[in-house]
Amino acid sequence: MTNLNAIDPAAVAEEAKIENDDVVIAKSAIILRRFLRNKTAVAGLAIFLALTVFSFVGGYLTPWDKETIDPFNIGMPPSADHLLGTSQAGIDLYALTVEGTRISILIGLVVGLASVLIAAIYGCTMAYFGGKVDKVMLFILEALIMMPALLVVAVATSGGGNGLQENLPSWLLLIIVLLVFSWMGTARLIRSLSMSLMQRDFVKAAQYMGIPARRIVWRHLVPNIGSLLVLDITRGVTGAILAEVAFSFIGIGIKVPDVSLGVLIGQATSQVATFPWMFWVPLVVMFLLTGSLAMMNDGLRDAFDPSSGSIGSANRSKTQKTAKKNSK
Amino acid sequence: MSSETTASTERTADSVAERLHIAGLPAPGYAPADAVLSVRDLNVRFNSENGVVHAVRGVGFDLLPGKTLGIVGESGSGKSVTSLAIMGLLPPTAEITGSVRLNGKELLRLSDKAMCKYRGNDIAMVFQDPLSSLTPVYTVGHQIIEALTVHHPKMSKQATEARAVELLRMVGIPSPKDRLKAFPHEFSGGMRQRVMIAIAIANNPRVLIADEPTTALDVTIQAQVLEVLHTAQEETGAAVVMITHDLGVVAGMADDIMVMYAGKPVETGSVDDIYYNPRMPYTMGLLGAVPRVDISEKISLVPIEGIPPNLVHKPTGCSFAPRCPLVSDACLQGEPELWPVGGPRGGANGLPASGTHQAACIKTDSLGAEVDVHEIFHAPAVPVSRFDAVPRLERKTVLELKDVRKHFPLLKGALIKRRIGTVKAVDGLSFDIREGECFSIVGESGCGKTTTLLEIMEFHKDQDGEVTIGGLSNKAASDARTKNAMRKELQMVFQDPTGALDPRFTVYEVLAEPLENQGMDKPAIRKRIMELMKLVGLQPDHVNRFPNQFSGGQRQRIGIARALAVNPKLVVLDEPVSALDVSVQAGVINLLDKLRAELGLSYLMVAHDLSVVRHISNRVAVMYLGKIVEIGDVDSVFDNPRHPYTRALLSAIPVPDPQVERTRERIILQGDLPSPLDAPKGCNFATRCPVFAALPAAKQEKCLTLEPPLEPAASSQAAQAAPDQQFACFFPDGELDADMLVVHGAP
Ligand SMILES: Nc1ncnc2c1ncn2[C@@H]1O[C@H](COP(=O)(O)OP(=O)(O)OP(=O)(O)O)[C@@H](O)[C@H]1O
Ligand code: SF4
Ligand code: SF4
Ligand SMILES: [Mg+2]
Repeated sequence: MTNLNAIDPAAVAEEAKIENDDVVIAKSAIILRRFLRNKTAVAGLAIFLALTVFSFVGGYLTPWDKETIDPFNIGMPPSADHLLGTSQAGIDLYALTVEGTRISILIGLVVGLASVLIAAIYGCTMAYFGGKVDKVMLFILEALIMMPALLVVAVATSGGGNGLQENLPSWLLLIIVLLVFSWMGTARLIRSLSMSLMQRDFVKAAQYMGIPARRIVWRHLVPNIGSLLVLDITRGVTGAILAEVAFSFIGIGIKVPDVSLGVLIGQATSQVATFPWMFWVPLVVMFLLTGSLAMMNDGLRDAFDPSSGSIGSANRSKTQKTAKKNSK
Repeated sequence: MSSETTASTERTADSVAERLHIAGLPAPGYAPADAVLSVRDLNVRFNSENGVVHAVRGVGFDLLPGKTLGIVGESGSGKSVTSLAIMGLLPPTAEITGSVRLNGKELLRLSDKAMCKYRGNDIAMVFQDPLSSLTPVYTVGHQIIEALTVHHPKMSKQATEARAVELLRMVGIPSPKDRLKAFPHEFSGGMRQRVMIAIAIANNPRVLIADEPTTALDVTIQAQVLEVLHTAQEETGAAVVMITHDLGVVAGMADDIMVMYAGKPVETGSVDDIYYNPRMPYTMGLLGAVPRVDISEKISLVPIEGIPPNLVHKPTGCSFAPRCPLVSDACLQGEPELWPVGGPRGGANGLPASGTHQAACIKTDSLGAEVDVHEIFHAPAVPVSRFDAVPRLERKTVLELKDVRKHFPLLKGALIKRRIGTVKAVDGLSFDIREGECFSIVGESGCGKTTTLLEIMEFHKDQDGEVTIGGLSNKAASDARTKNAMRKELQMVFQDPTGALDPRFTVYEVLAEPLENQGMDKPAIRKRIMELMKLVGLQPDHVNRFPNQFSGGQRQRIGIARALAVNPKLVVLDEPVSALDVSVQAGVINLLDKLRAELGLSYLMVAHDLSVVRHISNRVAVMYLGKIVEIGDVDSVFDNPRHPYTRALLSAIPVPDPQVERTRERIILQGDLPSPLDAPKGCNFATRCPVFAALPAAKQEKCLTLEPPLEPAASSQAAQAAPDQQFACFFPDGELDADMLVVHGAP
C-alpha cells in the first residue's frame, strides 16, 4: 500500500482551500485503511480472490474437462498428464476441482448475499412497524427456525421434489433451499439493531416530517446497518459453502453429474486409503476457501469496530509513520 | 542507594533553580518549595487515523496546599488528558513528556505499580460520569473500604468501617450506616457522585482532581455536589484541580484559573484577573458568549466563529488566529508564549509565581478594560420582531395545550405484571403559545419536559387532553391529511445534532427530504435549499458534504434549516444548544433569535440551562413532577420568583462572576426528586421544600393535604406588578429554612 500519510505539498494547498477537509476522512476510507492494516485479512482476501479466479479460468489451462473420460488413466495418482490425478472413472481431478470450486463459490456467494438482503428487508420492516406486524413476522421467523432444514433439503433434492428437479439443476435447487433457511438468524439480529436505530433522532425527525414508513426503512434503516450487513455476508458465504459440503457429503445436496467440493469429498471418503489425492485435493480447496473467508471476516470486524486497537501507538513518535505501517 | 542518587541530583537541580530564581529568571524545572503539585511543560501525544495528535502542549502550573485551580476550556482542549496524565492513567500508547511533581517527587516516569502508591492516596480523582465509575457488583461500603485498605492494609475492620460511615456522612448521605450495604444502582446520580467524592477523599489526599464532576447532573444536584466538594476540601485541606467547561462553576470556588485552548494554556491568573480583566481574545470571547441568568437587560451574545484547530498539525502562529477577529500578520509569526500581563516581555517558559496574570497573545497590552468584546467580535445587534410591539393577547395562538396528561403504569413482576403504581410524567398541563413568542419549559431531568414535547409531536386522537396546533385540534385529527397539515405547522430541532442527522445523507439530501415529501419539484427544491443554507449561515456550496464533515454548531444549523424547510409557524427546540460548546452555543442562540424576529416564528423550547432560557425566551414555565409550578413572563419569574422551587433552581445556577458567586445566597435543596411511587399527596414539592421545612406544624398540614392551584398572586398589588405570573404555592412569602441556605464568604 502507498503511504497514506505522505504529505504532498500540492495536495495540501488544495486541501487547505476546502476548509478542514483534511480533518475529515470518509468512513469508508478509514475502514479500508484499517482493513488493509490487518495483514491476515488481506491475505484472506487475496486467497479468496485467487480461488475465484482459478475457478473461472482454471478450466482453460488443461485440455481435460469434467466429462471426458481418459480410458488410459483410471484412478491414477498425479502425473504429468493429469496434474492432480484422475478419479476412479478416469476423469481429470484438476478439471473436477475447478468445476467444483466454481459451484461452491457460486452457491456461497448467491446464498450469502441474497439471504442477507432478505434478512435486512425483513428485519428492518419488523423493527419499523413494531407492534402487531412485528409479532406476526417474528412468529413466522421462529416457525421457520424450528423447521428441520435437513429434512426439507432431503425431500426437495430427492424424491419429493421430482417435478422441480426436472426443471432446475440440482445446484440451483440447493441454493433456493439453503436461502430459505439461512436468513432467519440474521433477520433477528437486524431487527434488534434497527430497533435501536429507531430510537435515534434522525428516524424520529423523519417521522415528524411525515415521511412514509416504507421510505424510512429503505433510506434510513437499511444503509445504516451496512457494516453489520457486510460482516454477515462473509459469514453467510462461509455458512453456505459449509452447508453445501455437508449436504452433498451425506448425499442429499448436489447430485451427479453436477459436481461441487462437497460431492468430490463425499465420493472420496470411502476410498481415502486407495485414492488419497481424490480426498485431499478438494478438502484442501475447501479449507482454503472457508479459511480465507474467516480471515477476512476477522479483519472486517476489526475495521468496523472503532474501539479495536488497530490505530497504532504514538509512543515512538519519531518513527511513528513507519511504525504505524509495520504494526500488525 | 538509588534513592540517594536521585535525591542528590534533585538537590543540584533545586539549587540551580534557586540561583536562577534569585537572579530573577524562572527555570523550567523550578517549583516553589511549598507547591504540592507542580507541573512543567507537560506534553501528550496520541496516534490517530489522521496522524499524531498533540493533545496537550506545554501545560505548566503550581498548586499550593488548600488552593483551587480551575482549568477551563472547550471540548477537546486537552483538559481531561492533562488530568489523566497527572494521574498516570493514560494508555501506554500515549507519549508523555515534561514533569509532574507531587511534593517534589517526580511522578511522570513512574511505573504503573509505583504510581499506585500515590493514586488514591496522595492524589485522587473524581470523574465526570458517576454511573460508570462505581463497580455495580460491589456494595458502596465495600468500595469505600477497599479504597482505604489498599493504602492502609493494617487498618482494622472496625476502623475502616467507622471511617467509611464518617466519609459518607461528610458527603451528606443520609443514614450512612445502613447505606454502606447498598449497591450503586440503588443510588441516584448525585448520590453516586458523592460516593465517588467520599472514595477520593478517603485517604486525605493532598491533591484532588475533579474532572467535570457535575456536568452529568441537574442544577440543584450540581449545587449539592459542589457544596460537598467544598466541605471535603475544607475537611482535608487538599488542593483541588477543578476541570470544567462551565465558567460559572469555577467562578465561586477557584483561586486561580487556567484557560486552555488547543492543548495549550492561553491565559492564567487569579479568578478576578480572568473574569474582570481578561487579556486574551479567546477568554474575552468566552466570557461574552455565556448568557447571564442574573441580568435582565438583553445583550446579544459574543459568537466565536469557526472551530478549534486540528491538533494533528503544528500551528505555525497563534492557535486562535483562524477565529480571532484581531488577527494580523504578526500573529502568524510563531506561537505566542504566555507572558505576564503588563510585565516585561520575554520567553518566560516557567510560571513566575502561581497566580500571576499571564496571557498568550501579542496584543495583550492593548486589550484593557476599555475594549468592548461585542465590538471586537462583531456581535450582532439584538433583533427586534415585528410581534414585539403587539400586546400578547392580541396575537394569534399557535399552540394550545389543555389539561394534557400522560400517565405510565409502573409494572412489576416477570411473568404476571402487577401494576404497583403510576408515573405521572405529565399531569394536567395547560399553556398556550402566541405568534412570535418563545416559550420555554425548565425543570430537572425527570420532571416531564421531554414527555410534554413528545405528547405534542404525537398529536393523536386518543390522547388525554387537547392539543391545538395552528387551529387544528388533535381531537379532530382522524386522517393522515390533518396530520400532514399539522406537520407543516410544527417542526422540531433535536438536542444531539449528530444523532439527528442521518450519517449517510449529504446535507442536500437531509434538506430535500421534507421538501420532496411535500411534493415540491426539483428546481424549486434546489432554490429552497440554497435559501435555507444562507438563512442559517452556512456556505451554500457545502450542500454536498456529509454531516460528519461539519462541526457540532454547523450540524445544529443544518438541523435548524431542516426544521425551517417547510415554513412552519412553530418550532419545537429540545435542548437545542446543550450539546454544543460555549463558544459555538452563542452563535446558534443568536441565530435562533434572529430567525424568530425575521420569520415571525414561535418557539417551544425545553432546556435545563436557565441562562440560555432567560436569554432567548419571552415566557417560561417551571415544571416539577409533571406539573407547572410557576409560569409567566421571563423577567418577572427570574427576577421575582415566587415558588420555592423556582427560587432554589435560580439560586443554584452558577454565575460567571466571582464577586457575585462569593456573596450569593444559595438554596441547597435536600435530596433528589421523590420516586413516583411515594409521590406526595398535597403539594408535590413538600418533601424538599425549604419554606415547608421552616413552617410551623399547623401550616405544614395545609401543604400536606391540599394541592396548591396554579394562580396569580393573591395580593392585588403583586398581581398588578406581574399580571402574567402564576404559581402554585400556599406560602410564597414564607421564610426559608436556615439549614438549606448557604453563603460562602470570600475564599
Ligand atoms: N486515547 C486517546 N487516543 C487518541 N486521542 C485522544 C485520546 N484521548 C484524548 N484524545 C484527544 O486529545 C484531545 C484532547 O482531549 P481531552 O479529552 O483532554 O479534551 P477535554 O478538554 O477534556 O474535552 P471535554 O470538554 O470534551 O471533556 C482531543 O483532540 C482528543 O480527541
Ligand atoms: S496573538 Fe493575534 S491571533 Fe492570537 S489571540 Fe492575540 S490577537 Fe488573536
Ligand atoms: S405549598 Fe407548601 S410545600 Fe408546596 S411549595 Fe408552597 S410552601 Fe412548599
Ligand atoms: Mg474532558
